[in-house]
Formats: sequence, structure tokens, C-alpha cells
Amino acid sequence: MPDRALDGIRVVEFADETAAYCGRLLADLGAEVIKVEPPGGGRLRHARPFVKGHEGDPNASLAFWVHNTSKKSVVLDLETDEGRALARRLALTADIVLEDNPVGFLAERGLGYETLRAEKPTIVYTSVTGFGQDGPHAGWAYSDIVGQAMGGIMTLAGEPADPPNMIYGRQADISASIQAAQGTLMALLHAEATGEGQLVDVSAQEALSMAQETAMQTWDFQKRNRVRTGELGMLPIPLPATGVAKCTDGYVSLYILAPAGKDLPALVDWMREKGLQGPLDDEPYRTIVNQLNMAWLTQLMSNPAAAADVLPHIPVITKTILDFFATMSAREAYEEGQQRQLLIGIVSTPKDIAENTQLRARDWFVRIESPLGGTVEFPGPPYRLSETPAVIARPPRLGEHTDAILAQLR
Amino acid sequence: MPKKPLEGLRVADFSWYGAGPIAGNTLSQFGAEVVRVESETRPDGLRRVHPFAMNPDGTFKSGYNVSGYFNNFNTGKLSLQLNLNVPKGQEVAYRLIEKCDIFLTNFTPRVIDKWNLRYEQISARNPRIIAAYAPMQGLTGPHRDFLGFGAVLTPVTGISHMSGFPNRPPIGVGTNYPDYVINPGHTVTAILAALRYRNRTGKGQLIELPQLESVVNTLGTAVLEYLVNGENPSRMGNRSLNYSPHGAFRCADDPESVGSVDRWVVIACRDDREWAAAAAALGHPEAATDPKFATFDARKANEDELEALIGSWVRDRKAEDVAAALQAAGVPAGVVQNAQDLLERDPHMRARGYYQYVEHPEAGREAHDGPAFRLSATPGSVPGPAPLLGEHTMDVCERIIGLSMDEVADLLAEGVLV
Repeated sequence: MPDRALDGIRVVEFADETAAYCGRLLADLGAEVIKVEPPGGGRLRHARPFVKGHEGDPNASLAFWVHNTSKKSVVLDLETDEGRALARRLALTADIVLEDNPVGFLAERGLGYETLRAEKPTIVYTSVTGFGQDGPHAGWAYSDIVGQAMGGIMTLAGEPADPPNMIYGRQADISASIQAAQGTLMALLHAEATGEGQLVDVSAQEALSMAQETAMQTWDFQKRNRVRTGELGMLPIPLPATGVAKCTDGYVSLYILAPAGKDLPALVDWMREKGLQGPLDDEPYRTIVNQLNMAWLTQLMSNPAAAADVLPHIPVITKTILDFFATMSAREAYEEGQQRQLLIGIVSTPKDIAENTQLRARDWFVRIESPLGGTVEFPGPPYRLSETPAVIARPPRLGEHTDAILAQLR
Repeated sequence: MPKKPLEGLRVADFSWYGAGPIAGNTLSQFGAEVVRVESETRPDGLRRVHPFAMNPDGTFKSGYNVSGYFNNFNTGKLSLQLNLNVPKGQEVAYRLIEKCDIFLTNFTPRVIDKWNLRYEQISARNPRIIAAYAPMQGLTGPHRDFLGFGAVLTPVTGISHMSGFPNRPPIGVGTNYPDYVINPGHTVTAILAALRYRNRTGKGQLIELPQLESVVNTLGTAVLEYLVNGENPSRMGNRSLNYSPHGAFRCADDPESVGSVDRWVVIACRDDREWAAAAAALGHPEAATDPKFATFDARKANEDELEALIGSWVRDRKAEDVAAALQAAGVPAGVVQNAQDLLERDPHMRARGYYQYVEHPEAGREAHDGPAFRLSATPGSVPGPAPLLGEHTMDVCERIIGLSMDEVADLLAEGVLV
């Protein structure tokens, strides 16, 4: 085994949907994370999708698996005196308590921060909730989509004619967990240096706020609300080679006018090699193709009227470019385009991710034991640390470690 | 003032745009001294894009120092102007790194190679350095030089395919989403883990955060559906595999919401009890016992009808009132808020004081995202405004790197500190 960054750290986790990913990050980095679960398991244990043929099995939820690797599972019933007493003794063995229950839930069961720290002043206690521990909405019910809505990112996503779009992947929960991991580790470093523990308070609504991109500053400076604009993002008008292009077997997203890559003439060079440049070598298109770059765009955003001369010609340029991408596979558009330093992203399906050339070449996927027996291929860690790598071990079966952990308490 | 937890640590921040600088911003808010290395010959693109601060006459301010986009991600940092394309500039970079605990960059490996900032090169000068590289796709591999930023990662990682309505093409999520929380947050998590290891062993290390791997990790469920079940799932709008109803419903327009008068409430019922409570709170308890909606399976089977029904209940009501009524009944619900709401109208955000305001010498009074996690004993805060381009070049050279005034004068004359 390699050295582990969080060697010797014990985390006791009372978490379900919102903080489980935080616990997973700590567990993969080497902390001993003991997940305390209610009899039967929490919501994620029962969340679809399941391993095919094992629907409803609390050990077979893929949604549970991805947020609970490398942990141990202890079942305790916090609605009984005995369960609460054991949970409290267990929590007091921890360096870190991690939880995502409604505000006050654990305190009412003798497991709140104030109670635990009175007995163990070094304890780091991380609470991850929809709205944080104080404020008028602290008691509000929360589920991921509520965080995405109240945190300001849904209003930016989707077509204007549609309802605002949620982002896939329980991103409010994920964001809250990632913020919690940072806060927990800072508090741990402080506790190890000084002996002083503390409360880490994470609100999913606040956790996402940074992801409003420039919407917050746009209101602050200019008293304008950014709104959802489909694929335009921050662009004021549709422009060629920006947005989704359909290929023979899927889609790519084009960002060729954005900074960092080559500008439009490099795309037209590629089109010309295939004889598909259409009228783009002719005026007025030739001049416009050479003119459309980031500097021009920035000017345009300060003064949309500047586009007036160009606007009537944009549909022809856009159509010629979309026709070009329609002749090739999404993978060819992506890989060949990127070789030419054109900002193009393939719209990957999960299958595409599993087959991604780069991820495969770097051996990103790992093979772990399945909680159901045998092995499964699993997405790898978010980072690679040369001396203390994150190591992904299988998620626990419900209550798998109850006897062993409770024996330690006796 | 309580001590901040990262006081005494110094960061050499060789990053730009979003994901890298936000990681440095978090370290800065919690007490680290962060030196942002920049060059006027190739300034951070965010210095040059909207939103710009405004003059009293309604015109936009101009120059490198008035973008709210840049300023929000670089609070309290020091700005060193340095030309990394020349050997003398690279030597200044090494001498800075010798004085730092953490090195941070999100440039592609091609640029890192050009600047001679590879891990073996910088760790030779400072073996204790914790060096975090966050390139798009990794330091190795056939796609290592592929270009991108958050909006390109959105399709490549699968977010675009999995988000939005099934009748629409995969248009993405409107922003450079992965740049703001996922990638900087994972980067800081890894840095803090490496700090603990260094505290215990004295050893630095190389952290590689391929943004592709970091983001795909958060979409693990969809990837596992393929790896384990052989299914290739696709986007389903605002619906959930597990909860119903689960979506956004249009309420009465709000004329005071500038530029976006349409108002929406989201509702998530996680079980039959919450659904019954929601129906009752919205004045239609009978819907909960209607066989078409009484169970989760029934609601999923009739979801179009269910959503139309709820839509008809709330269409003429104020979104805030609908959310409050549902919350009073214990049902997860909330308004789809915009920035105006978050900054000015959401009483909860205001009570918690999440946004912090600082005075910037050119942009004026600015709102900033405050720390996204609260430490009761060692809280973070916005430490000050973002630096003007090159504002601290002399200070960093003399106080931190230890160059003499003559050396600095020579470097200025030779065009190294530009």
C-alpha cells in the first residue's frame, strides 16, 4: 500500500445524499470512514439505478456506490436509546464527524456539535445541509434540485422557451460535499496544529453560488440579470462555430471564437482541404471570417450595434460550417479539430466516456470488488497525488461492519 | 480577528481563467499569501471580458482591472508581472517557488514545458513544494494538449448529454460550469491532503488534477450504468429516477425581476407522504389519493399529466408564496432565483452574509463570493480586492524573493518584469 494522506484519521459519518461524496473523498484519501446508517439504509441505498437484476437491493444501488467507496457501514437505530448511546460513543472516537441531517436532528439525539465538543474539544464537526445551520431558511426542507434553483444556476441553464434546466448528477449535493471536504481538511489541519476543533457549516445554496459565473457581478455592476439563453451562454447573438453541431453519429460543441484556440480561418482551412469551404473564400464572407475573433466579440458585447454590418451574412457562414460537421463522426470532429487547435468538444455519452481514448490511455478506470461479489470497473479518482494517491475500494454492504466496530466500543 | 487556518503558507499561483485562480482564491480567503504570476504580454483573458464596472455616467470602465469576472476569483492576491518566455523570467519564477509552499497552475503541459515549470524542474529547486497541476486532460496521454475550458468540458465529460430536456439537442448548461466548484474544489482538497502529508513527513508531492477526470468522477452514476449494466442513459430534463413530482413549475410573472420576469418554483417530493403534503399545501388534497398519482409508480406513469396539473395550480401564484407554503408543509421546494434575488432579495442569503463587499481602487465597491464553507473557530473572509495587473511586482521581488533594488531595476530594464 502507498502512504495515505489521511492515515490515522477516523471519520464517523451520519450522511445520506448531500454529504456522502465528501465522506468518499476523505475515505479514498485514506481516512477510516465509518458510515452510520439507519436500519434498512437511507435514501441513497434505495436510489435507482440499480445493478440490473438487483432492483431494490440496498447493496446494489449504483447511485449509492459512487458516493460511498472505501467506507465501512454500521447500522444503528437513532430512534432507540441504545442506538443513540452507541452512536455517541462511536462519534467520540472520531477525529471528524460528518453529517447532512436536517438542522437539529442529531442535536435532539445527543449527537450535536455542542454536546460532542464538550467531551472532545478537538473534534471537527462538519454539517452539510441545504441552507446551513442558521438564518431564516435553516429549517427548510432540501433536495438537490432545490439547491440548484435557490443557488442561482438553474436560471442560467436551458432554452428560454423551456423551464430552467437542472444539471445532471445531483450537482448541489456534489458541490456542497466538495466545499465540505475543503473546510473539513482545513479544520483538521488546524486541530492537529493547535488541539482546537470546530464546526464546519456548509450550505448547498452557498456552495453553488460561485457557479453563477458572472451573473452575480453582472447584477452588482450593471443591475442586469443574466438569463438562460440556450446554447448562447454569454454571447449576445448566435455566431458561427459556437454551439452544438450535429455529426453523423452524435454531436460536438464548438467554441471556435472563444479564446485559447485558433480562430475561424483555421477551421476554413480544414474545410477547404475537404473541398467543403462553400462560399467562405468569397466576399463578403472571407472578410467576416477573418474578423470574427475574441477581440471583436468583446467589442460587440459592449456595443451590440457594431454587429449590424455582419449580422445578415452570419446565417450563410453558420450553415456552411454546420454542413461540414454533418459529414463526419463526432469523434473525428473532436480529435481532428483539437489536433488543429480548434476548440471543439465531443458531446460524450456515458458509453463514450467509458471508451474515451485519453481516459483509457491513462488507465483512469479502476477495477474494484463489487458489493455483490466479483469485480466491476469503476470511475477513477478526481486527482492523482504522487506520494499519497487516492485509492478506491468497494462500497460497504449495509451493516457489514456493525459487529466489528461495535466490538471495539465494548 | 481569529487566526485564519492557512496563515503562514505561501502560494505561487501560475494559473489563469477560472479553475486555477478560484483554487488560489479559496487559499487566499483562508489566510494563505497568494502570488498571482501574470504578464501584460498575455494577460488573463478574464481581465478583458465583461462584466465591467460602470462609471457614474453609465459607460463601462475599461482597462485590465475592472472586470468583475476576474476580480471575484483573485481576492487579496498579490500580482507579479513576469515574462516566462525568457530564461531570466524563469529564474525569477524558480526563486519565487523556492519561497512558496504551494505551486498552482492550470496551463496545458505544452505551456508548462515551454516555461520549464515541470514538476521535476521546480521540485529540484524546492523539494517541499506541493505542486498542483490542473490541465484539461492530464499531463500525459494522447489528448494531453487538447484545448479547452469549462464550457468545453461540459460536453466532453458528459454533462451536456445528461442535462436538459430530451427533445432538445445537448446545449450545455449556459456557463463554464465545471470551472467554478468541481475543479477548484477538488484541487484544494488534494492540496490540503498533501499539506497534511507534508506536515507529517516533510515531503512535498506532485498533484495532477486532470479536469476531465475530476469532472467525470462527479457523473459516476451514469458512467457506472454503462460499465455495470451496459446501458447508455440520456437526459431527462428536470425529472428524477427516484422522486416524483420533481421539476420546475411556472408561477406568476414578477415585473420587479429585471430582465427575467418569468418565475419558477421547483418541487421535489421524495415519497408519498411529501406528495400528499404538497398536494394539500397547494389546496388540492384530493390529488394525493387519485389512483393516477397515489404511488410513485403511478406518478411516474402519468408524469406529463401530473406536471400539467401542478403547473395549473401554481401558474397564477407568486413563486415565493408557493415555495413558502410547500416548505411549511415540509416539502423540498424553492424559487428558481437569479442574481438579483441572491444579492438583494433572498432574506436568508442576506442574514448569513454570504456575499462580502470590498472597495476596489479602480472598479469601486464590488460584491464577492465569500467563503463557501464556514469554520467556526478559524473563519475565512474576502481578504481584500483583486490586485491591479502588476500591482505588487516590486513588493514580491524585494520582500518575498529577496532581490535587491538594483537587480529589480535590471530586470525591469531587460523586459523581464512585464
